[in-house]
Amino acid sequence: MKKNKAMTFGILVAAATIGLTTANLNTAMAGQFDGVTLRVATWGGSWKENMEELIVPKFEAEGGKIEFVTGSPQANFAKLVAARGNAPFDVMEILDAQVADMMELGYLRELDFGLIPNTSNIADFQKSENMVGSWDSQEVICYHVDKFEELGIPRPTTYKDLVRPELAGKISFPDINSGGGLANFGGVVHAAGGDETNVQPGLDLINDMQILKFWSRGGETLAQFQSGDIIASVGNAGWCLRTKKAGVNVTSVHPVIKEGVVGVAKVGWLGVMKSSEVPEAAHWFINEYLSEEFQVLFATKSGLVPINKKAIETIKEDPIAAEMLVLDAEEIAKEQRIDYSKVTISDWTDQWNRSVAQ
Amino acid sequence: MYVRWWLLLIPPFVISFTLVAASQFVFLESSFFKDLGLGRIGDEFVLDNYVQFVTDSFFLRALWVTIKTSGLAALFTLILGFPVAYMIARMRSQWAMILLAGIVISTFITIVIKVYGLIVIFSANGMFNQALLGSGLASRPFSIFGNTSGVVIGLMHFTLGFGVLLLYSIVQTIPKSLEDAAQIHGAKRWRVYYRVIFPLALPGITAMLLMVFNMCMGAFTSAALLGGGRVFTLPVLIQRTVMMDIKYSLGATIAAVLLVSVIAINILSIFLVRRMRAAHLVMV
Amino acid sequence: MRFSRHRSTRLLGRLCFYAYCSLSYIFLLSPIVVVIATSLNGPSSTSEASFKFPPENLSLHWYWNIPSAQLEALGLSFGLALVSAIFACLLGVPAALGLVRSNLPGKALIAAVFRAPLQIPSIVTGIALLQLFYVIGDATGFYWQGTLLGLAIGHIFVATPFVVGTVTAILQRFDRRLEEAAVIHGATPWRALRRVTIPVIMPGVYAGALYAFMVSFGDVPIAIFLTAPGFVTYPVEIFYALENDFDPSLMASATLVIFICLLALLVVQKAVGLDALLKSGGTGSTR
Repeated sequence: MKKNKAMTFGILVAAATIGLTTANLNTAMAGQFDGVTLRVATWGGSWKENMEELIVPKFEAEGGKIEFVTGSPQANFAKLVAARGNAPFDVMEILDAQVADMMELGYLRELDFGLIPNTSNIADFQKSENMVGSWDSQEVICYHVDKFEELGIPRPTTYKDLVRPELAGKISFPDINSGGGLANFGGVVHAAGGDETNVQPGLDLINDMQILKFWSRGGETLAQFQSGDIIASVGNAGWCLRTKKAGVNVTSVHPVIKEGVVGVAKVGWLGVMKSSEVPEAAHWFINEYLSEEFQVLFATKSGLVPINKKAIETIKEDPIAAEMLVLDAEEIAKEQRIDYSKVTISDWTDQWNRSVAQ
Repeated sequence: MYVRWWLLLIPPFVISFTLVAASQFVFLESSFFKDLGLGRIGDEFVLDNYVQFVTDSFFLRALWVTIKTSGLAALFTLILGFPVAYMIARMRSQWAMILLAGIVISTFITIVIKVYGLIVIFSANGMFNQALLGSGLASRPFSIFGNTSGVVIGLMHFTLGFGVLLLYSIVQTIPKSLEDAAQIHGAKRWRVYYRVIFPLALPGITAMLLMVFNMCMGAFTSAALLGGGRVFTLPVLIQRTVMMDIKYSLGATIAAVLLVSVIAINILSIFLVRRMRAAHLVMV
Repeated sequence: MRFSRHRSTRLLGRLCFYAYCSLSYIFLLSPIVVVIATSLNGPSSTSEASFKFPPENLSLHWYWNIPSAQLEALGLSFGLALVSAIFACLLGVPAALGLVRSNLPGKALIAAVFRAPLQIPSIVTGIALLQLFYVIGDATGFYWQGTLLGLAIGHIFVATPFVVGTVTAILQRFDRRLEEAAVIHGATPWRALRRVTIPVIMPGVYAGALYAFMVSFGDVPIAIFLTAPGFVTYPVEIFYALENDFDPSLMASATLVIFICLLALLVVQKAVGLDALLKSGGTGSTR
C-alpha cells in the first residue's frame, strides 16, 4: 500500500516534470517574444478592447504579454513628462497637436521602418523619423435627422447653421481637453474667419451656439442623444457612428469651412520611447496596428478612417462607415488641417477657459 | 497608571508628519519658481505665479466657485442628512440597519457611474423635469450640466453618505432621556430640536460640516463630469494645469492657494463656533 | 377631544418627517436604480449598445461582456481598500490612545497633523505624493508609484484621520476608572488595555475601518496619479474607460459592485452588527 502510494507520487512528479519541460520547449520554440512585456499607452474602453481582440492574442502566441497604460494621449504625455522621459510604457499614441511638444522633448526613438513592413501601404506624409501615422479621424457635425425635421430646420452644412434659437441648449461640443478638442476648436476658428494665431472669432461663434455641454467623454454624448437632451453634436465621426449603432437616427455632415475646404481632420501617430527596453516588440506592435485587418476593425468599431490604403478599400463596403466617413482620397485632401506649429496650445486653452467659464 | 501613553504617538506621528511635510514640501516648493512649460521650472526664486493668481480675476473667480460649491454641498448635506441620521439613530427596529446599508451602498458607487443615472433622471424629458414642468413649478426644464447646481448635486452624491454616517454617530451621543425630559415639561417638538438637540450636536455638526467641506474642496470628479467644461473649480484647474498643460509651478501655486484657503476657513470656522458657544453660555 | 387633535397633528408631523427623510433616499438611490435597470437592457436588432430606462429588452447580456480589465481593477480596489483600512487602524488606534491619554504640551498641534490629510485637497495629495515618489526613486532607485505600496500609502494617508477621529470620540467618553479598577485588581496595564479598553473602542475601530474602506474604494483624485500599467483601481479604470467608450457593460460591473457591497455588509451585520460598527457614540459598550 505504502509502496503503491510512493510509486503513484513518483509517476505524478515525473509526468509533471515532463509536462513542464515540454511546455517550456514548446513556447521556447514558438515564441519570438518569450517573456517580453510590452507596455502600450492608449485610450481605455473599446479602443483598447479592439487591440485586445486582434493584436494581443498574436503577441501572446509569440510568448509575450501586453500591458495597457490607459488614458488620453494628453494624460499619458503628462505621465511621460512627470517621469522625465523614463516612460512607464514602450509605445504610445500621440495626437497631431502633441507632435511639436513631443519633438521638443526628444523622448522618442528613431524608427526602423524595416521592422514595420506594413508602412509600405501608407502615404509618405504619414511617416516621419520618429513617428508613424496610425489613423485619421474626421471631425463632423452629428445631428438627429428626425428631430431636425420635426423642428422644420434645414440640415446643417456649416458650424454657423448651429446658431439658431431652436437649437439653443441642445448642442454639445468637445471640451478643449478632450482628444478632439483642439481639432474641432481649430475647425470652428477657421470657419469663423480666424486662424491659428487669432482664435477670438471661433470663441465668439462657439458662444453664439448656446452649447449645453462641453463633453470630454463621448459616452455622455451618446447617452444625451438617447435621452433627448441634445439633437446635434460636434465631434468625431466615430461617436456619430456609435450613436447610430445604438439606435438613434443620427447622421454626420462634414462642415464646410471655407471655399474648397470641407471637413476637419485629426491625425493619430505612434512612437516608440527611447527608454524602451523592448524596441523590437514595440515595432512589431506598430506593424500590427497598421495591418489591414486591424485597421478595418478599428474603422468599423470606432469610426476612424484607416490609413492603410487596402483597408480603406475594404471599409467602403461597410454601409454605416461609408455614410459617416469621407473615404475618397481627393475629398480627404480637402479637409481642414490645423497647423500646430503655429499654435501655442496653452494659450488656446487659456483663452478658451476664460471664454466658456460660467 | 504608569503608562507612557505618548510613546504610542511616536510611530503614527512620525509617519503622518513625514508624509504630510515631505510631499507638500516637494510639490509646493516648485510654486516659487518660474514655469517654463512642459514640466520644466526655472531655478530662480520668484513670486510670479502667486502674483499671477491674485491679479487674475479668472483664478479668483475659480476660488470663489470652489468655496461656494463646497459650502453649498456641505450645507445641503446637513439639511438632507440630519433628519435621516436622527431617524435611523432613534429607530428601534431592524429597519434601521437596512436604511443604514442603503446609505453605505450609495457611497460605494463612484460618481463616474452615477453620472449616467443622473443624465437619465435630469434629462429634458426625464422624470425630474416632467414632474417639475407638470407641477407648474418651473416653465423651463432644469439642467444639471454646465452649471454650479449640477456640481453641487454631484458633490452631494459623494458627501451625503459620509455625512449621514457621521451625524448618526453624533445623534447617538445625545441621550434620548434628555429629549423626553424636555417634552414632558411641555416643550413643543421643534423647540426640543432647537433648544436641546441642536446645541448638544453643534460641535459634532461643525466637525461634520468641515469634514464634508474639506472633502468637496479636494474633489474634482463631480466638477469635471457635471460642470460640462464650464464650471472651473480649483481642483479642476489643478488637474488641467498639471495633466493637460503640464505646467507644474502654476499647478502647485493653485494647489497652495487651495490648501491655504482650506486651512484658513477651517481655523476661522472653529474660532467662530467657539465664540458662538461662549456667547450662548453667557446668554443662558 | 383636545387630546386626539394633539395626536393627529403629531401623526401628521411624523408623516411629514418621514416623507422628508425619504427625499434623501430618493436623491441618493435613484441614479443607482437607473444604473441597475440599464445594465439589464440587452442589445436589440435596432441598437447595439443602448442606454434605455426603463429597460425594454431584459437580458444579462452585458454581464457576460464585462471586460476582464474591470474585474481585475475591482479585485485590486477591494484588496487595496482592505489593506488601507487595516493599516489606517494600525496607525490610527495608537494615535488616538496617545492623543487622549497623554498630556504632552503641544497636543493640539499633534492632533492638527493627524487631521491634516483631511484638509489637504485629495488632488494635491495625489500630485504631491507622486512627486515625492520620484524624489525617493531618484535617490534610491526604487520607484513607489504604480506599486501596491505607493497606492496604499496614498490611501492610508487619507484614511487614518477617520480612524483617529472615531476612536478618539469613544475614548473621550470612556470611563478611565474601569481600567484603573482592573489595575487595582491586579491586572497589568497591558492586560487592562487589552481586556477593558480595546473591547470598548472596537466599535470605533470598525467605524473608522469602514470609513477608511469607503474612502479608498471610491478615490479617483489620488489614484489617478499613482496607478501604473496593469495596476489600475476600479474607479480610475471606469474614469478612463468612459473617455473613449460607451458600453452598458460598465453599468453591469457597477451593479456587480453594488451586490458585492451588499453581501459584504450582510457579513459585517452578521459578524459584528452594523449598528455596533457605527456606534462610535453612545455608551460605547456594545456587545
